[in-house]
Amino acid sequence: MQEHKTTDLAEIRRKVEEVLGDAPQLLKLALENVLREHDAHADAEPGSAGRIGRQSGKVSELTAIAPLKPGGADRLRRIFKLVNGNFVGAQKVATLHDMRFVFFENDTKILFATTYDGDWDTYIDDFATKIPDLMDLLFSSVEGWPGITDPGVKDFIASHQLTADGWYVANPHLSVVDARRLQRMNDALQEFLDKVSGHVDS
Amino acid sequence: MSILDKVKALVHHEAPAPALELHDIQATILFDRPDPYFGTHVLLRFDSAAGGRALLARLAPHVRSAADAADNAEAWIAVALSHAGLRALDLDAALLDSFPAAFRDGMAQRAERLQDYGPNAPETWEAPYGSGQLHLAVSIFAPDETSWRAAMVTAHEQFAGIAGVTVLGSHDFGAQPDSRNSFGYRDNIGNPAVEGGTAPTWPGQGRPVKAGEFILGYPGEAGVPLAQPGPVQDSIGRNGTYVVLRKYHTDVAAFNRFLREHGGDAHGQELLAAKLVGRWRSGAPLALAPERDDPELGADRQRNNDFTYSKDQEGLRVPHGCHMRRMNPRDSKLAILTDVNLHRLIRRSTTFGPPYRPDLFEDDGAERGLFFIGLSAKAPETMEFMQQEWINHGNFIDLADERDPIVGQQPDGATFTLPERPVRRRIHGIQSFCTLRGGEYLFMPGLRALRRLAGNQA
Repeated sequence: MQEHKTTDLAEIRRKVEEVLGDAPQLLKLALENVLREHDAHADAEPGSAGRIGRQSGKVSELTAIAPLKPGGADRLRRIFKLVNGNFVGAQKVATLHDMRFVFFENDTKILFATTYDGDWDTYIDDFATKIPDLMDLLFSSVEGWPGITDPGVKDFIASHQLTADGWYVANPHLSVVDARRLQRMNDALQEFLDKVSGHVDS
Repeated sequence: MSILDKVKALVHHEAPAPALELHDIQATILFDRPDPYFGTHVLLRFDSAAGGRALLARLAPHVRSAADAADNAEAWIAVALSHAGLRALDLDAALLDSFPAAFRDGMAQRAERLQDYGPNAPETWEAPYGSGQLHLAVSIFAPDETSWRAAMVTAHEQFAGIAGVTVLGSHDFGAQPDSRNSFGYRDNIGNPAVEGGTAPTWPGQGRPVKAGEFILGYPGEAGVPLAQPGPVQDSIGRNGTYVVLRKYHTDVAAFNRFLREHGGDAHGQELLAAKLVGRWRSGAPLALAPERDDPELGADRQRNNDFTYSKDQEGLRVPHGCHMRRMNPRDSKLAILTDVNLHRLIRRSTTFGPPYRPDLFEDDGAERGLFFIGLSAKAPETMEFMQQEWINHGNFIDLADERDPIVGQQPDGATFTLPERPVRRRIHGIQSFCTLRGGEYLFMPGLRALRRLAGNQA
């Protein structure tokens, strides 16, 4: 067992040299410590989200950067303020874990990042027919946005997407739908436990 | 149409749906296969572009259009080409590249998107599927044996004596008596209605789906035509569609053993069989006959598809996870925002092999199965969606990883959930009952496009 660990450490040091041979000693030691606790295959096999992007377990990432039309950032800010981050359409979609919009370079560009369940292509067609207004509201400030019903809209989105190089998912096997079910079940379970314990404070 | 919709239509200048060019659309897209039916799929390779074109030219006059299918009581021929087949015709490279990626790649290359792993992986497929050799599929559908034989003679006359064409194989199909599939079920009942189509429609088909979802060149559900190959003006795709062909072997003995182990007495076994599919074997839907089979209902096309799930949102009659409800959830409340009409395929599936045997518990070596044939203007993409979301996953119905009990690939420890009161019943140990033996993505051109392909004026 002792021997096995030493071999592992030698292997770790070899890898550290390979990856960070040109870095200061402090950085090398830090990486060595990280790798000693690291299990690359814990929990989720990394994969592809389909056409573009990464997938971890059931969960996928989408990061897009695009130039904005003049005044686009200002318009979007007003919309975000109005709805206070509560995108009802997005909640209905039920595959979106989160979305974030960041303006940069003097409001000339937008970064859109989202975490979602499943494959890249799978539901975009559905959104085009079920929530076209929300999709156009969010993206029509982007330069060149063809409109959500355009047959080329998927190619447009993919052309602005960048696959993440590093990405971490806490619960890769829990979809949004799973998490909502677990929440409901826990509420019911707690209520049940309250009742059987006979100490319900009404 | 509500007042709001009318105003929207006025504001957006929506034109009424254009009439379908029935003379140019292959009959198979709009008309059911006969019932009962006899037929053959013939698979061919073009060894030279000239040979391929010559064959298409010979076949073209025999391919039935939707305009003369309505009163037809004879055999008909349908043809479809793979992307490899289009390439073998030496078409312009830009035109070849303008077809959608899934069709260009071919089904075997898309195995990951289709989740065709393990026993379903392309490495296990029968020749010529997945080899790039299959260029043309010719299907003969017939209502009786005599006209089938006559059509086969006609077809073989077209193949015979053409240099540069090889027949790779042919496969007879048909199910007698009663058109039952190899698990003993009446099938092909619930097909979508196509807006502007001329085939008879049946109660329960729901709102007709926009023609552009099934035929290239017409507005789809989003109000605009789907992407077409070639220039929009004078597109080679116009009035054509895509075909998903998947040959399945069915393990009838394993299916029977599963029913025997988990269904209890004879009635319980039949009920479990119905719960897996959503219909009794006669075709009677559980939604209308929840307690016991009703063969009269099953055979009545005016009634056997005339239901919704609005009063069964809990799935007590029809389990959410059963094959039929997964493949067409109708008005079920789904966990994921989904436009059901975007994921419909017109099915022209054909069964082969000896009839179903309820007493079969050990494999008898007979080849029983089904050619799944699905058609739409984006059939490859729809098939990939279905395989990922509706067949091999349960997220859309809040059933986590549970899979389709009939065509899903079941991992060890897989379950099937039967909603019951007070608590659901979960059946453990469900296995895969269908194994993929091969498949192809095909393009079924309009008749004018077929003649253009034959003359290399594409």
